[in-house]
Amino acid sequence: MSIINIRNPIAELVEQKIEPARRSSDLNGKRIGLYWNMKGGGDVALAHLEELLRRRYPSSRFTHYQGTVGFIMRHCTPADANRIAKEVDAIVGTTSD
Amino acid sequence: MMEFEKRGVPTVSFTAETFVRDARRSAESFGFGGLPLAVVPLPFTNQPPDAVCVEVDECIDDVIAGLTKDVLPTKAHQEIVTVSDEWLTIKGDSELEALEEMNRLFLEYGWGDGFPLRAPDERSIARILKGTTRSPDDIVAVLEPGFGKATVEKIAVNALMAGCRPEHLPVVIAAVECLAEPKMYLRNKAMSTGPHAPLIWVNGPIAKRAGINSGVCALGPGAMSYANSVIGRAVRLCMMNIGLTYAGISDMDTIGSPTKYSMCVAENQQASPWAPYHVDHGYDAGVSTVSVHFVYGICELHDFTNYQPSRLVDVFATAANNAAQLSTGLWLIGRRADPRYGTEEKEHHTMFICPEHANNFHKAGWGKEEIRKAMYAKARMSFEMIMLAKERKAMEAAHPELQWLWDSPETMLPVVEDPDCYEIVVVGGAAGRGAFFWGAGEPGTKEVTDIGGES
Repeated sequence: MSIINIRNPIAELVEQKIEPARRSSDLNGKRIGLYWNMKGGGDVALAHLEELLRRRYPSSRFTHYQGTVGFIMRHCTPADANRIAKEVDAIVGTTSD
Repeated sequence: MMEFEKRGVPTVSFTAETFVRDARRSAESFGFGGLPLAVVPLPFTNQPPDAVCVEVDECIDDVIAGLTKDVLPTKAHQEIVTVSDEWLTIKGDSELEALEEMNRLFLEYGWGDGFPLRAPDERSIARILKGTTRSPDDIVAVLEPGFGKATVEKIAVNALMAGCRPEHLPVVIAAVECLAEPKMYLRNKAMSTGPHAPLIWVNGPIAKRAGINSGVCALGPGAMSYANSVIGRAVRLCMMNIGLTYAGISDMDTIGSPTKYSMCVAENQQASPWAPYHVDHGYDAGVSTVSVHFVYGICELHDFTNYQPSRLVDVFATAANNAAQLSTGLWLIGRRADPRYGTEEKEHHTMFICPEHANNFHKAGWGKEEIRKAMYAKARMSFEMIMLAKERKAMEAAHPELQWLWDSPETMLPVVEDPDCYEIVVVGGAAGRGAFFWGAGEPGTKEVTDIGGES
């Protein structure tokens, strides 16, 4: 029997932590953001989603957003995110392809 | 979307089934396990509007649930095998069998690139570390998307597995430093659905010391490009085992690319009529540097006929004029940007000009600057062609001042933002054949400062 002792090649990871936002159980009357990352079709999806949500939550308000930097995918800058976070209570995005 | 969660805003992300693992793993690596998703069967891209609406109809309940129900956090990196033991014991009937077992195990864990790996045992690690003056515990960088600490030792272990010798280690370390530059936007290139692969070129005395081929078959394969092959491979293994860029888990490349295994050369400074690349970028000639540019693919720059500079550029420009290549004319819809660091990159292309062509240019009095300007002037396509596969609304957002182009679609436009978007490196043997690499963003260059004693 032969034994070789080898070094684990996997790096120690720097842990990241983001706390999820608190959810409200009802979207009625809420300000809902619709964020498009500018990949094809996402704008169509969000426009249709607005229609569907309006039917269920007639007192809710909807605002469409897109990022200000980037190319085929446009991102929010920290300043954009700060501004949008003040303007909405929840946000739906076409951001994960 | 995590930026909104951080700011107290509940989110849901539309995600196609094929990207669910990627989205979850990305979110986990950024500390937000449990990212609420509304999963649709197909990506919205390339779908007719009716089909997109049907997909939304079918996941409306998931959208509402994501915004109204508590998020259940999940553990990070669930799909990646990380073993807490720093030393692993592998057994076999003989040392060769133990090595085979190690290779089997590493493939099972996903820690290999598919080719056999060398065993990183204590003695070999001690030897390769002699190639650098840096301490094994020094943290060279933190590599995304997994936020792995790239210590000198972990880089050395992966370099050793790739087949590197001590004299190669400082080059690998400098390449890892390049990867971690904020402007490199590694996360974007590592995790993309595109074939972004790190192209590495080395300048200065380290190239000879490390035995890096700059001439015939510099990009390999072959024994004469041994150093090139293993250095490029080591960088990929570092991206995998330090940055946690794993195919099908965090690297969502649609087809993949053989260029991702290894691409490393030295500039052929001896055969070049011009100042070396690193001198053009402000380094002394006696300094050694490593440059890394993420590129999409390669096109040959073949011309056995012409010796006149303008004719050569006429030929080279046809490589840049490619509407099917994402980076072509990308400036029209914006720049690659990482909002976390406020970086923006123009799309650069790298040209490996062969010594034959370089000398043709030089004899006619052309330097790299003249070639860049001529490429900028010649490599042009109509607005209509450039925009064939680009989103109109993105162009409207990026360049509101250029909307008149929609009424003049035949207008010829440069395929890059400015002449400096062409990187020129002299590489190769004695024939009129160079290489054009469509780039993704800009290259980075780092000085090699830690050359050790053993070679």
